[in-house]
Amino acid sequence: MSSGKVGAVMVVGAGIAGIQASLDLAESGYYVYLVEQSPAIGGAMPMLDKTFPTNDCSMCILSPKLVQCGRHLNIETLTNSVVSEVEGEPGNFKVSIQQKARYVDPDKCTGCGSCAEECPVKVDDEFNQGLGKRKAIYKSYAQAYPNAYAIDPSKCLKMKKAKACGKCLEVCQADAIDHEMQDETIDIEVGSVILCPGFEKFDPTDLEYYGYGKFPNVVTSLEFERILSASGPYGGHLQRPYDGKEPLKVAWIQCVGSRNCKIENGYCSSVCCMYAIKEAVIAKEHSKNDLDTSIFFMDMRTYGKDFEKYYDRAREEQGVNFIRSRIFKISEVDEESKDLTIRYADEKGQLHNEEFDMVVLSVGLEPAPSVIELGKKLGLELNQFGFAETEPMTGVNSSKEGIYVAGAFGGPKDIPETVLSASAAAGASASLLGDVRGTMIKEVEFPPEKDVSEEDPRIGVFVCHCGVNIGSTVNVPGVVETAKDLPNVAYAGEYLYVCSQDSQASIREAIEEHRLNRVVVASCSPRTHKPLFQETMREAGLNPYLFEMANIRDQCSWVHMNEPEKATEKAKDLVKMVVAKAALLEPVKQMSVQVTPKVLVIGGGVTGMSNAISLAEQGYSVHIIEKSDQLGGNALRIKQGFKGEDVQAFVADLINKVESSDNIEVSTGTGVSEASGYVGNFKTTLTNGDIVEHGVTVVAIGGQEYKPTEYLYNEHDAVFTQLELEEAIAANDPKVTQAKNIVLIQCVGSRDAERPYCSRVCCNKSVKLALHLKEINPDVNVFVLYRDVRTYGFYEENYRQARQKGVIFVRYNAEDKPRVEAAGNSLQVTVTDHVLGEPIVIETDAVGLAAAILAPEDNEQMNRMFKVPLNADGFFLEAHMKLRPVDTAADGVFIAGLAHGPKSMEENVAQAKAAAGRALTILSKDSLESSGVVAVVQPDKCAACLTCVRLCPFSAPRINNYAAEIEAVLCQGCGSCAGECPNKAITLQSYKDVMLMNMVDSLYKEVR
Amino acid sequence: MIIAQQKSIQDIASMIEDCNKVLLVGCAGCVTVCLAGGEKETEVLAASLRIKRRLENKPLETVTFVATRQCDPEYIETLESYVKDVDAVISLACGVGVQYVAERFSDKWVVPALNTNFIGGSLNHGEWEERCGLCGDCVLHRTGGICPIIRCSKSILNGPCGGSQYGKCEISKDMDCAWQLIYDRMKALGKLDKLMEYQPPKDWSKSRDGGPRRAVREDVMID
Repeated sequence: MSSGKVGAVMVVGAGIAGIQASLDLAESGYYVYLVEQSPAIGGAMPMLDKTFPTNDCSMCILSPKLVQCGRHLNIETLTNSVVSEVEGEPGNFKVSIQQKARYVDPDKCTGCGSCAEECPVKVDDEFNQGLGKRKAIYKSYAQAYPNAYAIDPSKCLKMKKAKACGKCLEVCQADAIDHEMQDETIDIEVGSVILCPGFEKFDPTDLEYYGYGKFPNVVTSLEFERILSASGPYGGHLQRPYDGKEPLKVAWIQCVGSRNCKIENGYCSSVCCMYAIKEAVIAKEHSKNDLDTSIFFMDMRTYGKDFEKYYDRAREEQGVNFIRSRIFKISEVDEESKDLTIRYADEKGQLHNEEFDMVVLSVGLEPAPSVIELGKKLGLELNQFGFAETEPMTGVNSSKEGIYVAGAFGGPKDIPETVLSASAAAGASASLLGDVRGTMIKEVEFPPEKDVSEEDPRIGVFVCHCGVNIGSTVNVPGVVETAKDLPNVAYAGEYLYVCSQDSQASIREAIEEHRLNRVVVASCSPRTHKPLFQETMREAGLNPYLFEMANIRDQCSWVHMNEPEKATEKAKDLVKMVVAKAALLEPVKQMSVQVTPKVLVIGGGVTGMSNAISLAEQGYSVHIIEKSDQLGGNALRIKQGFKGEDVQAFVADLINKVESSDNIEVSTGTGVSEASGYVGNFKTTLTNGDIVEHGVTVVAIGGQEYKPTEYLYNEHDAVFTQLELEEAIAANDPKVTQAKNIVLIQCVGSRDAERPYCSRVCCNKSVKLALHLKEINPDVNVFVLYRDVRTYGFYEENYRQARQKGVIFVRYNAEDKPRVEAAGNSLQVTVTDHVLGEPIVIETDAVGLAAAILAPEDNEQMNRMFKVPLNADGFFLEAHMKLRPVDTAADGVFIAGLAHGPKSMEENVAQAKAAAGRALTILSKDSLESSGVVAVVQPDKCAACLTCVRLCPFSAPRINNYAAEIEAVLCQGCGSCAGECPNKAITLQSYKDVMLMNMVDSLYKEVR
Repeated sequence: MIIAQQKSIQDIASMIEDCNKVLLVGCAGCVTVCLAGGEKETEVLAASLRIKRRLENKPLETVTFVATRQCDPEYIETLESYVKDVDAVISLACGVGVQYVAERFSDKWVVPALNTNFIGGSLNHGEWEERCGLCGDCVLHRTGGICPIIRCSKSILNGPCGGSQYGKCEISKDMDCAWQLIYDRMKALGKLDKLMEYQPPKDWSKSRDGGPRRAVREDVMID
């Protein structure tokens, strides 16, 4: 390594940010050390019930990532570990890690749970927010990785006194528990560090007026998530923790520990408005009664993509009450009922006392003290609240080079923004370590695959006891005997834990000894264990698709625990069926395509350029096309960022970097005229006739400012849009700089019937413009007419400052919008004051309109050419609202910037880097492989009816030579086309009709 | 293509009530594309009939086969070995196919599984619309590529009539007035003057006029 850099990265914190950053880096050719303080990866997401705005189950969407991260060859997960020291320089850090003893060997532990069943010590379960109990030996949650237990040394009886207990040792058949285990120091070398230690929820105990800790029916929002969760303490049954009563009336109190300067938490926690609405909606769904839900809030901050519609639906369709009030106090109605009274003043100033069965405190997000300490130890600049201060317009760079920040450590964030920042930090790390990519990664070599096509099936059946999980209910030896007599079975045996390391060796031996060419494992879920056994198959020289599983645990012994005989019969049936299928299994060959290591970036604004620079720095060739005749996009009109950044200098710097890079080619005045191909192999014809071949497409075509038709815009020369106002200030236009009164009107063209979305940046922009106007002329009166002030995150500070400097904020109702009338050279604005209920007339010299951000017109063209779907508002739709924020349904096409949805410039830069990070996972590979079983067309049966082409969510099929063709690399193996093909011309490998019919036949053979 | 849709399972079952074994013949032509009679529908129909009959305690045996097309005698010939020992044949082709099968196997009870609706194309997946009236004397060159014969409720040639309102036909607010469409298209093409040409009454003798029509191309006929 001539550069002296190390091709490995340390990721600190294994929540969704850490998992995403690790996966992106490991998939791009870097070795990753994932350091996690607790015994399991996952972070806060597994605790959540549903996620907004799609109401996806949190655990369901996370768990595939847990499996992928846990099993990745190039991600070394260090649990129970904290970073104690970091030395060195960017590219080469020496890190010392303290790993606390787990007292259970995760390599031996199979997660069977027998130990916890026997453990006599019950303690409050922190995963369930103390609402339930766990044992002293425990696994945080069912799907946790590592799938291994850990001992809480402060609670374990044996740890206190060696002879006091030892029950876990008696039942552990895997011999995994060791009470003598010692803490360890692990030294590693890495090229960069990504910090994503997450957040801690605000503890409301000290805010006495909320009564938390004193009144049992006041709970935090995270406690409420566990109450709603099917895996929570009440199995998803909505009830009060105090007496188990089903509540009929629940209130949410917003901004608990947020927007509160008295306790020095002046910032907005950004996510609470949405999660409170979600909890109210889901609670209504869970309740058998007509649950009454009320949310007490100050400003409704539903500023994210599709959030406003979620708010609208909750209010108008689901009947959630929204009460605009910062409440005074919560008290208990009486000792007996423990119901609660909320005392509050409504908007008119009238006092109310309203009773509720339960109150949920929407607690804010804080950095954990240990995280602040880590930040200080690393010498990072932290802001006044203890969050990491990121370098201007970088999104993810900490104040120290080579150390990046992702997730809530950089400020409160929701899940998609957290994932986005993680991919961005991975992209930034890769930029730093471009020349040492691939130097530290591990690869496995498998023996050549045996050709078994001419052999008759010889099936091996491996039946698992899973400790006592299966064995105590199902008669495992009986199942083995049945299996031995089944057709084509050459071997059957029983194993204590089929998944253990030594069992893998025995499987390989059995394959050798009995010349097995198909393997069936009867144990648990293929979701968690199939990849492990498939790897064993490959080690034994067999194609991994000559393997099948029968789930005789989750689907048999666990659910029929009280009927062992019937459970045994069912287990035999399950094995019979799977053996019948296995006999017909065929090897599946992975298809692969070459990757063209080049990127086409469409759009030369800040987003497109940031993305291009990030990828060019890693040595990839990038072609930027820009429709207008110069680079810069909308940013050319913006002078100042939300944190006071000099935007023009920033844009000039970007343009300079782009133009001086050897790896970037720029075509201005150029668009796309034709696009074809797919991931790894796109072929795009430009409007100048050039043809670009590229492996990845990044669409960053920006957005446009709405041209208002209201408020005398275009009719009076003192009515400006925000961007025009900023330009007028910069040009020293006396209409603005010498004005005595200026009125700024919010939500112009946003949050209405035609455009039911929030444009996200306009509140921040108006606040910033107001401050700027006050700076130029402290005597100017600035009025901001708003509906909700959405200065989320640390922008709340700007809002506070603006009020301090005398900017006047007047709230108006959507039903009663302000009126702007001409009064000679000046203007007159009439707005109804929400407290007085009376119209206020403001004589003003200028009016600034916070005009909406619109999707670019070209989104539709991009939609047609690159098959990237659009949402109802015309913005690009990401592949998954939560976990794939820059990917699209079209593999290899990434989106970033305003074309995806309104965002600030800094957020656009972060998204651009995230798109670079994700693009790398493709570009860094020489070829792409199909992802497993794929659908295959029999062309002579195909009627070219287009059903598959229309149906496929991944655009894998196309008609070629009068028949359908399915691109294996794009196919995800979902089987929709195979099911729908009207002439049965399509089959899904390993799921052929004949296999499934054989399974059914084997099951009913005796009755026939 | 020909658009057809399956009859109800009750209707089909009643046609073969007294049979013990039937052959179901799909067609890989038009009816596969309009999702009515390909291999999938053939198998599903066979299974449905078997289930129905099993529930009625009169088990039915089924054999299935999909012909490349049922409108050419050579393809019908391929059915021969299957037809022999069945009591009836259910054809999942259009009316043409049913007749070809019935004609070739004249001693067999041959029944239709589909209703043949019209010739048309797909609007969305699973939604089709009639687009051609099979009049035998195409006028689309005069009407901007929009057929007044089938898309106008009255098939008039010099439209629109007085029942056209706001672009819709008086028979339904969901139905476009074909003549409004024609007018708009011709206007966009700058050919409104063509619409001023009076169209004489159509020669319907080339359309259905009492007997099956026949088309002949002598140059390709094989002696």
